[in-house]
Amino acid sequence: MADYKAASLATRPKTLDPAEYFNLSPEYRRAEEKRAALRAQLKRQYLQQLNNPHRKELIEDPALTRWTYARTNNNYFRPTAKTSLIGGLFGVLPLFVLYVVFKSDRDKRDAKIKAGTYERPYKLST
Amino acid sequence: MLKVLIPTIMLFPTIWLTSPKWLWTTTTAHSLLIALISLTWLKWTSETGWTSLNTYMATDPLSTPLLVLTCWLLPLMILASQNHINPEPISRQRLYITLLASLQTFLIMAFGATEIIMFYIMFEATLIPTLIIITRWGNQTERLNAGTYFLFYTLAGSLPLLVALLLLQQSTGTLSMLVLQYSQPLQLNSWGHMIWWAGCLIAFLVKMPLYGVHLWLPKAHVEAPVAGSMVLAAVLLKLGGYGMMRMMIMLDPLSKELAYPFIILALWGIIMTGSICLRQTDLKSLIAYSSVSHMGLVAGGILIQTPWGFSGAIILMIAHGLVSSALFCLANTAYERTHSRTMILARGLQVIFPLTAVWWFIANLANLALPPLPNLMGELMIITTLFNWSPWTILLTGLGTLITAGYSLYMFLMSQRGPTPNHITGLQPFHTREHLLMALHLVPVLLLVTKPELMWGWCY
Repeated sequence: MADYKAASLATRPKTLDPAEYFNLSPEYRRAEEKRAALRAQLKRQYLQQLNNPHRKELIEDPALTRWTYARTNNNYFRPTAKTSLIGGLFGVLPLFVLYVVFKSDRDKRDAKIKAGTYERPYKLST
Repeated sequence: MLKVLIPTIMLFPTIWLTSPKWLWTTTTAHSLLIALISLTWLKWTSETGWTSLNTYMATDPLSTPLLVLTCWLLPLMILASQNHINPEPISRQRLYITLLASLQTFLIMAFGATEIIMFYIMFEATLIPTLIIITRWGNQTERLNAGTYFLFYTLAGSLPLLVALLLLQQSTGTLSMLVLQYSQPLQLNSWGHMIWWAGCLIAFLVKMPLYGVHLWLPKAHVEAPVAGSMVLAAVLLKLGGYGMMRMMIMLDPLSKELAYPFIILALWGIIMTGSICLRQTDLKSLIAYSSVSHMGLVAGGILIQTPWGFSGAIILMIAHGLVSSALFCLANTAYERTHSRTMILARGLQVIFPLTAVWWFIANLANLALPPLPNLMGELMIITTLFNWSPWTILLTGLGTLITAGYSLYMFLMSQRGPTPNHITGLQPFHTREHLLMALHLVPVLLLVTKPELMWGWCY
């Protein structure tokens, strides 16, 4: 048998010990039993696939599929005030800031070159 | 030129007339022979300038490294596609290799062209086989969207280029690069001239891609099959860089003022696309965005128009072509085994595929520009020349280098290190073909450390 460890982040399944349930309604108990049966079925399916010696392919994890689909096909973006502000701050404003910075720096250097006062601080290549 | 072009055209009869048992062997061997013949171009007979036997096709120190890269890539593409095309009927396999070979022909004619209009026609012609490869052989439904984005972004950028070239032909009477390099600087002082300037460059900036118009690239790279991704990342992006370098010669002195927005977009794009890489779940998407990041650096280097900038741009284009193609091959090996591109699905692979972990390691180190690999040399030259242009750029390029190292390491650690999950221990071991593919990608990068003069362009 392959080593099976419970997933550390999953909630632990509740036991069906009657002593824990004496104060709960029968409907609740029946619902819990159904859920426990479903969990046991899923676990059995996974363990069957895991321990199949002829298995060559991956065990499919539907939660992972859903997660990747949600992450990649993100139609969850909505232009609100906050997202527009962030978009403008990081996407549009830096372009103008950088333009001002570079242009002023280059113009200062050009003026110095035209006046003949520019001294090269580094010798970069022959 | 003909010694490579005629064997490449003869590749078509080879594909369609060999018996099915020998198809892949024959085409791989044929294309490998073409690649070896193309290495003879590296011996430059004239010190500077063009090597040619006629006035229509010539090679010079700028186009030769790109031509050798193109010819080298075809056997690698055929090797990489062998596995996933095998289940298909024979004529469809032949069609696939025909598309790759036709792409090769167009690319050789594009890089070897002396008339700019021929370069333009070949530039457009490469779109068609790539579109067919993406939309017919891609694996997800998003491939149609990807093909549309790819086609229309590139076309929208290149139609102004056609108009600009026709205007240039009208005013100067010739479009031959051999002649235009000696022409007088054009009087460019009106708004119409500025639009002409933009028309000349926008096509190549879209192809490179520049940060604002890069949206087609992640879609096209992710949805393409492995050979499509390889050729897109390795060569087709470099068409944009090569075109820009050719056109820049004639576009002075307007470029001094008009290049600012594009340099800024390129530099800011390095940081933005690098940061997006850190948040990707899809492996091929991460490699695609890293391509945009590296090409932003190349675009910045070219737009500066200094000798170091051009040299750095060529070196980075060649090195990035090989390494990016290698990364796509590695991603494809994971995809063929798990049929998923999710990064956290195929993790902890070092324990089960130890030799492949070495390839992943070298490819990721090359991607993050480790010395003495040519990736670093190109990046360093571009960063230095940008610093010379304006010292403030060091903030952007330095941060960009840091982020590049971050996501390359993230890719390596996520796919190789960590506990191997139970459900992937049954994966197929690596084929010799795949190891050969990786070796053929990464050994040229290591060899180029020893003779970088092959890549330096005119400044050698």
